[in-house]
Amino acid sequence: MPKVTIDDRTVEVEAGTNLIDAAFKAGVHIPHYCYHPRLSVVGQCRMCLVKVAGMGKLQAGCATQVMKDGMVVHTDLPEVKEAQQGMMEFLLINHPLDCPICDQAGECGLQDYAFKHGVAFSRFQFEDKRTYPGRERIPLGGNVLLNMNRCIQCTRCIRFTEEIAGTAELGFFHRGARTEIGTFPGKQLDNQLATCVVDICPVGALTSTRFRFAERVFYLDKRPSLCTGCEVGCNITIEHRRGAIKRYKPRFNPDVNDYWMCDYGRATFERYRDLPRLTAPRLRQEGAALGVATDPMRPRPDLGGTDTTRRRRPEAPTPVSWREALDAVARYLRSRSAEGAIAFLGSGFLTTEEAYLFAQLADVAGTPHRSVAVELGPERHIPNLQGGVTGREAAPNRRGAELAGLASGSAGDGEAAGASLDAESLLRGDGAARCAVLVVCDSDFGAAAYDPVIVERLRRARVLIVFGWADSPLAQAADVALPVATHAEKDGTFVNVEWRVQRFERAFSPPGQARPAVEALSELLTRYDARWANLGAPAVFDRLAAELPAFAGLSWHHLPATGAALDVPAARAFPEPHLQAPEDTAVGI
Amino acid sequence: MASRAFEPVLTRNVGNPAALTLDGYRKSGGYEGLAKALAMEPDAVIDEVKRSGLRGRGGAGFAAGVKWSFIPKGRDKPKYLVCNADESEPGTFKDRLLMEKDPHQLIEGCAICCWAVQASTTYIYIRGEYTHANAIMEQAIKEAYQAGVLGDSVFNSGFKLDMYMHQGAGAYICGEETGMIESLEGKRGQPRVKPPFPAIVGAFGAPTVINNVETLANVPHILVRGADWFKSIGTDERNTGPKLYAISGHVERPGTYETAIGIPFSELLDLAGGMYRGGKLKAYIPGGASAAILTADQAGLALDFDTMTKAGSMLGSAAVMVMDDATCMVRSVARLAKFFNHESCGQCTPCREGTNWMELLLTRIEHGEGRPSDPQLLQSVCKNMNGTALCALAEAAVGPVDSLIKRFPEEVERHIRDRACPFPQRRYFENGAS
Repeated sequence: MPKVTIDDRTVEVEAGTNLIDAAFKAGVHIPHYCYHPRLSVVGQCRMCLVKVAGMGKLQAGCATQVMKDGMVVHTDLPEVKEAQQGMMEFLLINHPLDCPICDQAGECGLQDYAFKHGVAFSRFQFEDKRTYPGRERIPLGGNVLLNMNRCIQCTRCIRFTEEIAGTAELGFFHRGARTEIGTFPGKQLDNQLATCVVDICPVGALTSTRFRFAERVFYLDKRPSLCTGCEVGCNITIEHRRGAIKRYKPRFNPDVNDYWMCDYGRATFERYRDLPRLTAPRLRQEGAALGVATDPMRPRPDLGGTDTTRRRRPEAPTPVSWREALDAVARYLRSRSAEGAIAFLGSGFLTTEEAYLFAQLADVAGTPHRSVAVELGPERHIPNLQGGVTGREAAPNRRGAELAGLASGSAGDGEAAGASLDAESLLRGDGAARCAVLVVCDSDFGAAAYDPVIVERLRRARVLIVFGWADSPLAQAADVALPVATHAEKDGTFVNVEWRVQRFERAFSPPGQARPAVEALSELLTRYDARWANLGAPAVFDRLAAELPAFAGLSWHHLPATGAALDVPAARAFPEPHLQAPEDTAVGI
Repeated sequence: MASRAFEPVLTRNVGNPAALTLDGYRKSGGYEGLAKALAMEPDAVIDEVKRSGLRGRGGAGFAAGVKWSFIPKGRDKPKYLVCNADESEPGTFKDRLLMEKDPHQLIEGCAICCWAVQASTTYIYIRGEYTHANAIMEQAIKEAYQAGVLGDSVFNSGFKLDMYMHQGAGAYICGEETGMIESLEGKRGQPRVKPPFPAIVGAFGAPTVINNVETLANVPHILVRGADWFKSIGTDERNTGPKLYAISGHVERPGTYETAIGIPFSELLDLAGGMYRGGKLKAYIPGGASAAILTADQAGLALDFDTMTKAGSMLGSAAVMVMDDATCMVRSVARLAKFFNHESCGQCTPCREGTNWMELLLTRIEHGEGRPSDPQLLQSVCKNMNGTALCALAEAAVGPVDSLIKRFPEEVERHIRDRACPFPQRRYFENGAS
């Protein structure tokens, strides 16, 4: 591989690497706007001009490739600085400088480079800047808004729709100083990936209708996470302020979603905001045996009498403490097995760790009936260098849940298929009616959980125990409702459609008494076996990795940032992962 | 005065309407060069053109034979010749003459070039406004197909050659070679980033030669009369052959003149009948709107590639614009700046913003609203545009502006000091048009 020297730092890069990428490897940032590692090189913004020894003119870093040994590049010479300053001045003379009302302020390429490479005063002294009257808020499609005044004509968005989305809705219109971006007549920017143009827009010209004016970006806290919209498992950054998620942004992972994510996925957090939240455990009292208040620190709401246990209607669930609720669950699991079957219904939204503990709980409850509900959604395709990842299921972790011990098919174990209490028989058949105890984790497993027919079907179980973050109809119907964390509020792993296990982190704490299901399940298991005490997701992952062959050799803390391909036969149908993640030069801009 | 007696080569058929037809062209010695070329090895043709020292007549002055030799050998990809007939540099009107008066000369030149680089298709990208020239070219191509000059077997040699006219839609930038290719491919006419150069990745992703009309029109004569004859014309061996000069402005007889390359400007001015109504020469632009302005003191300079470069200007397309001493240089340059602002494609930053800013500044100075710092600012803008842009248009726009500040500083300062233009509007015509 040829060696190149950039500002006295020598690095070895593959032949054909351009100077921006090579410099990034050497630890030198060459400013750029139009260059994006996944888009064709057009050399339009002229910000990346550098001095290549032996060449008269300054060269555009994006369009200059390292072909053979001995190239010497300078990015810190006065002439380079002068050119960068000149470009910054050109870009800013007609820019509205409306940062105070611009959504991009705080993550804006113009702001960042103006500080770093620009000058503090303007030599452009005319009364009017070039503006595009009437083109300040043009809806390009449902999710993207264009303010032409802020545009710097880098054409990243145009190239994205041509080369990544493949839909080519955007184009350049007019020319010279009047050049503008727009949709072709009769077209709308409405492809699945449309909002990605907002991410790659280095300035505030393209803004997301979902995020517009929702929050100043410099107030946002960010945490790496995964999208739960489908089984692709796009890597995202959760951006929130004090526990209120403001947006999802795609996070670079060359093996999964590259730099992109779909518009549907970006909107999935809105459920967390819009659905009512379950914030305290609730217990439906059942006769005298369960009607004891045990937590003096949490007085029950006054329901109209002095002696609440006597006056309460038996059907109304009451907020209780976690200990009470878990006691009740343990009691039900122990005492009711004579009255019928005990069934465990998991969801594709469970983390692998939760599913593993859930299956363990089924083990100690002595039941073979453990399954995961699978819901098919519209097909979603995210392009990457190997062609892309396609997801069909509407949950992120059906595969992880199965590997951890839940079944999606029949429960097996010698029982006749008709007698097995799998997800299919519970949701579509009359399986629940044969259940003494049905444990559902979690209540928000898909659209089915909101279908009154299905809720009624599941309610036929004699005792219905539901873990859930949403106060859904199913949680309301439950005898014991246990508030658990959303995926933004917990640590965990998901296994995506290509059998790649990926880790995500808790972005903020769950509200009220809600807690990660791993904690609740491990506390339940502790009642059977002390070795389950005080486990968090990392410890559970390490334990399941030691036990399950598919996860052999993995550990929570050494799981690569881009995830790890699991060694299961089904995974071999998918492309080989990158051995090493390529450098991500698109960070920032 | 040898140049006065110059025997026309490229324009020999201008007074001969019969040459519009294939037979008439043949009678004047046409298609001999092509026949000769087909009898030679393609490489030998390239060598002959290289040896002649023929340099591109479109503006950059790159050696034609060398350009042809960049085309990769082998037949794994199709190759193309694109003839640049998008003559849109202000002041240039030489290619139009060649196409309207002697279309077969161009066809022959294209055919020889195609044989030399083994290209089987020629596109002649003609300026959209040249409808008359286009009709004549179309007719000539039709005739050439019928006579077997073009088509499946050129002169029964087995060499296949197709030729198409492609009309532009009125953009100056499509005269830039990669902008032309984009336009030809049906895209927005805007230059591509280089490398790769068109010789490797050109039209439709294939190796492509791009030559100006006048360059290609020279080729048949080189083949017929030999490289040595061609080299004997001109100032030195880097500036050879006949050259068309399109002279306009304040001269008595504006038009296209053919002489040996390197005629001193003063002699060319004499050919064109001298200054308009006996005016006094103030300045001239030697090579189209993008060349730096030269002053009356530099009237003795030879109009060839190297002398012009040395003088800080360029021969360009050899469109000579002459200005007398009643001309306001600021107004003239402001008009040129307006042209470049209008014609900038807008994709790259320095050109899109710089040409616009320059026009604003020059217009302000011309209207008497200039500020004392403006000349310095203009120079700084020029500096930031020079050598930083994607294609040559930004540098072209800088040419006249930079030379205005350098060579006519007192005139610019006078505009700013007096807060008005010292030159009255001129009326050239009875109806008041200027």
